Amino acid sequence: MRGLLVLSVLLGTVFGYEDFVGHQVLRISAADEAQVQKVKELEDLEHLQLDFWRGPTWPGSPIDVRVPFHSIQAVKIFLESHDISYEIMIKDLQSLLDEEQEQMFAFRTQVQSTDTFNYATYHTLEEIYNFMDLLVAEHPQLVSKIQIGDTYEGRPIYVLKFSTGGYNRPAIWIDTGIHSREWVTQASGVWFAKKITQDYGQDPTFTAILNNMDIFLEIVTNPDGFAFTHSKNRLWRKTRSLTSGSSCVGVDPNRNWDSGFGKAGSSSNPCSETYHGKYPNSEVEVKSIVDFVTNHGNIKAFISIHSYSQLLLYPYGHTTEPAPDKEELDTLAKSAVTALTSLYGTKYKYGSIITTIYQASGSTVDWTYSQGIKYSFTFELRDTGRYGFLLPASEIIPTAQETWLALLTIMEYTLNHPY
Amino acid sequence: MQPRGQLRSAPRPGPARPFAPPRALLPLLLLLLALRGAAATLKDPGTVDAPEPPSPGMLQQAARAALHFFNFRAGSPSALRVLDKVQEVGWQVDPTRGYQVNLVFSTQAYHLQDRERRLGRCSAQVLFKNQKPGPAVTVRCAPLPEKHMLREDRLLFKQLKQLKGALNVSSIPDDYGNIDPSLRPMWDLAVLGSSYVMWERTTQFLYYYPLRISSVKQWKTSDHAIDFDYIILLHEFPTQEIIPCHIHLIWYPGKWLKVSYHCEDMQTPEASSGTEEGSAVAPTDFSNF
Repeated sequence: MRGLLVLSVLLGTVFGYEDFVGHQVLRISAADEAQVQKVKELEDLEHLQLDFWRGPTWPGSPIDVRVPFHSIQAVKIFLESHDISYEIMIKDLQSLLDEEQEQMFAFRTQVQSTDTFNYATYHTLEEIYNFMDLLVAEHPQLVSKIQIGDTYEGRPIYVLKFSTGGYNRPAIWIDTGIHSREWVTQASGVWFAKKITQDYGQDPTFTAILNNMDIFLEIVTNPDGFAFTHSKNRLWRKTRSLTSGSSCVGVDPNRNWDSGFGKAGSSSNPCSETYHGKYPNSEVEVKSIVDFVTNHGNIKAFISIHSYSQLLLYPYGHTTEPAPDKEELDTLAKSAVTALTSLYGTKYKYGSIITTIYQASGSTVDWTYSQGIKYSFTFELRDTGRYGFLLPASEIIPTAQETWLALLTIMEYTLNHPY
Repeated sequence: MQPRGQLRSAPRPGPARPFAPPRALLPLLLLLLALRGAAATLKDPGTVDAPEPPSPGMLQQAARAALHFFNFRAGSPSALRVLDKVQEVGWQVDPTRGYQVNLVFSTQAYHLQDRERRLGRCSAQVLFKNQKPGPAVTVRCAPLPEKHMLREDRLLFKQLKQLKGALNVSSIPDDYGNIDPSLRPMWDLAVLGSSYVMWERTTQFLYYYPLRISSVKQWKTSDHAIDFDYIILLHEFPTQEIIPCHIHLIWYPGKWLKVSYHCEDMQTPEASSGTEEGSAVAPTDFSNF
């Protein structure tokens, strides 16, 4: 009821351009007929400019009246001196209207289709989650949304599943945004999701891939961190978990995996950007993926996407000992990078994590590789330091396009080399 | 600590707690532990085994240091360069002095609109002084088109002098990577100033990129110089830390560039870089030791 009343007032505002700053809405309770008469007297005082939403009728029936700011004191004194009880229903009408207008406009500008979604700009968590629902609604035969857990702060963690059928088919896993400040990665993830729905049935190579394998895509792998980069600190990297005994927040989710955990290449200082956490998988964001991967049991390629530095990396990060499949991974990385560079000439280096970038222990792909997922890769997307994390939005689509070519190379190779 | 029994009179010789090193040595120990822990790809020159040729990582570090130093000495925000390809030419290890890398490298213009302009190669000798930052650099680059540089710098100087509201600036670039075209010259000048800082802080293990100007403390322009006092955030590898550096620079095109700075290392020594000029942050948390 109140919503309707407010809406009508809003429309009044729209057409009458009235301002309701400081106006209050009172609910008056007239105890007897005499009091009802008194309130009717108020009605007659035109200079007060009272607007009765629910006029005085009989005792016990609530009387709702909008009182302009300049009349508030007079009305209250009048009611109190006659012992007529009242309560303040709306303390400031204008602010309530502003709030509701905002909500209405927010709802209106919310995208209604993945075809009108703007891929060349950075989005909030709500916008990306909304995008996912739209994509699923538009392609129900191809795309579904799975919740693999809840974040530390209670946000749902979603993975998109792209599948053309079968049961527990060999699968490709792609994640973006595990480090929340690496905004070009989540943005690329959104683009990849759309690209998959566009290319299936159109591009022969990709169609063959999806006819035989499933793709799991986790676009916002660190939702709490991502929300924090929008609300408070654009350069936040870690999760937002609290560490007992420390005033510092967050664990580096790419040092929290159970492979070489706690070794050099991560920090035991909770205030550090590479803090590994108290024990492996302490972070629910990491544990959710571990459980998913373990339960699925048939993931054949695992790709974790970061920025920046323009690198394609394979295990190990925690030791200089070469991975048993180093030769094959190196050859595959080389072809993936060649494909990537072919589009815009963007130069990438490739190699094992420890020899190409730096020692990193407890990292994602060291663990996935140790679980038998042979084609485990980490990307570091654009750029090489000019803008770093603060990559201009104009580079989102070119970055996503060239990275997609590398992903296709890896996916196609995985399809053709079952193990 | 309570005395055991009442017969104890004189204190025993040696340290009271045998397993705790004297407090004064703790920062040094932590620093050494940190440096040994960091980026194990890069070789430690002080090892007992025969010295080894520089790893690809070491070579990159040397080139980065050399280029920061070059950019600083060139003193031209219009002519900033970024690293392209690197090649080792020689090396030598002197345990008393450190690890020297001789290299050649090619560069590209920092400004994307100048990308096509051909820049000559550089040759450099970089000496990483045992565990100390601020490598000694000798660097020579193929002759620069100096007249062109000076003209561009003078234009930049003019633009900077006309800048209004510089003190109200916060965050260049903004969260979305945007830099207002009128503020680009300020960003370029800030990056030039940070080159000095990045050179001084670079070691065999640590390297930097300038991320954003977070605030402008002072901005004074005259016909003779630009006096610029600002805080710039540096992104440190491999620690991934964001280091705020308060930089004060004075610049006049073709004439001089003076830089002084103070960086805030928030972390305890385990994750920090080396010391910076007169502002080593005393470690307060020994819980990890």
